[in-house]
Amino acid sequence: MLTVTGVSRSFGGVYAVRDVSLSVADGEVCGVIGPNGAGKSTLFNLITGHLAADHGRISFLGQRVDRLAPHRRARLGMSIVFQAARVFRGMTVRENVMVGAHGHTRAGFVSAALRLPRHRRDEREIAAAADRALERVGLADWADRPADLLPIGQQRALQLARALCARPRLLLLDEPASGLRGAERERLAALVEELRADGLTILLIEHDVAFVTRLADRVVVLDLGQVIADGPPAEVRADPLVLAAYLGQTS
Amino acid sequence: MNNRAGLAAGALVAAVTLALPAVLDDSALAVYILLGLAAMVTVGVSLLMGYAGQVSLGQGAFYAIGAYTAALLALAGVPPLAGLAAAPVAAALSALVIGTPLLRLRGHHLAFATLAVQLILLSLAGQLEFTGGDIGLQGIPQFGVGSFEAGGAAVYAYLTWAGLALVMLVTRNVITSRPGRALRALATSETAAASSGIPVGRYKLVVFALSATFAGLAGGIYCFYTGYVAPGSFPVLISIQYIVMAVVGGLGTIWGAVVGATAITLLVQGLDRLASLPGMPTYAPSVLSYAVYALVLIVVVLFMPRGLVPAISARLAKNRKELPYR
Repeated sequence: MLTVTGVSRSFGGVYAVRDVSLSVADGEVCGVIGPNGAGKSTLFNLITGHLAADHGRISFLGQRVDRLAPHRRARLGMSIVFQAARVFRGMTVRENVMVGAHGHTRAGFVSAALRLPRHRRDEREIAAAADRALERVGLADWADRPADLLPIGQQRALQLARALCARPRLLLLDEPASGLRGAERERLAALVEELRADGLTILLIEHDVAFVTRLADRVVVLDLGQVIADGPPAEVRADPLVLAAYLGQTS
Repeated sequence: MNNRAGLAAGALVAAVTLALPAVLDDSALAVYILLGLAAMVTVGVSLLMGYAGQVSLGQGAFYAIGAYTAALLALAGVPPLAGLAAAPVAAALSALVIGTPLLRLRGHHLAFATLAVQLILLSLAGQLEFTGGDIGLQGIPQFGVGSFEAGGAAVYAYLTWAGLALVMLVTRNVITSRPGRALRALATSETAAASSGIPVGRYKLVVFALSATFAGLAGGIYCFYTGYVAPGSFPVLISIQYIVMAVVGGLGTIWGAVVGATAITLLVQGLDRLASLPGMPTYAPSVLSYAVYALVLIVVVLFMPRGLVPAISARLAKNRKELPYR
């Protein structure tokens, strides 16, 4: 589904990501882990298109996407849950989720301004899809509240609902567990399990090793911008290079 | 505000709006028309700043483009209705052309660039032959449709307020729909909006053009009403005035634009009257109007940062012990 081949990106002569290759297969949950500064966020931004790669290529669903703008990649079916809260202010929770449906709906300024029948039909469908997504992440009761008032855990869930409302082929989660407390983290893990069971392909970029190894079918480990291991969780955990990278950094 | 109260309030506002031209004298009617025109432009500014998060300090440029377009066409013998229809179209097209490079800028840079656009346009209009130079265009025929010709100011008052109602309706319809949600989303985070499949650049351009359309329509009505246009009719102060009106009324509220335009217009009128009292120096009117923009802006930003309309509706909601929202 997603193939990253020899991608590099440097900032002021220092490589943040260097010659990274990885692939995510259909229906797979792929985890990317690595210590702080390993290049996880840079890699995430290269895949989503918010940063341009210096070298290498990225293909998605058999199409080369590394020159496409972020919104075009989103329309192909990449849905993102950002680490930082990216809740749209001044909108209700439901409206926030409805934004997710933007890519696969069409009503534009003219049909909205004139309230054409097409606009009404679209609006009904989008609202129904948003409500289903909110139900799924457990935010149905919050639908009509201002989104800015949600606690951080629910903001993450809101972003997930918005991503689901976009009918994703590939769901990209950037540090989804960061800042969440135990119970919220458990609910998120259960939700990821459910989505996997539904056959959704997921790329999970995460600092928390335990969270990733529990959910992922395959784990890619980054250190200093390069891939140092790639395989099933159990194998990767025992890899001496990985142990060194993490041990060298923390304890 | 619940639906029935909203409907009643709307009906009351509509009734007063319709009744006013019949009872106002000519000088009051002039204020009423200019107020409606200012509100029309301000709704666009509020849409641009409050909903889409973009700043334009040059909205007067599109007002001028609309006015000059309608004036030139009318003087060339084109029926006034066609000229009036062309005014918003010309403003929108100019906004698309100007906005394509300009909207790559953000925040203060965008504000100053739009201000520069207005200054350039004014100086061009003052130099060029076909715009009549500094003297401008005079003898613009009255507005009319077919054999009907607008005789008195009351007709322009109705035209203005009908235009304002149309502009408000279009704005409301847009913001509560798919493109409107996209605009509000990109005002918070362009990154997150793009990742939801929103073409951020194109949407900013379209909303810039839409706000210019409103200003162009107002400019078209203005030229028929006054019968002449000149660079002096569109000073930079007018663009600043629209922003003050939008901020005072409450950015990101449609009614805020109308309330803000009303409050500022009445205040400036009162001060003008004060400044032209015998014994006041000749520079008093302009000094006082500059001062009032600055003062009102500072007071509102300090004490009612969200503007008049949100502050009032929050107060009402509190009295009803509801959660304040919008």
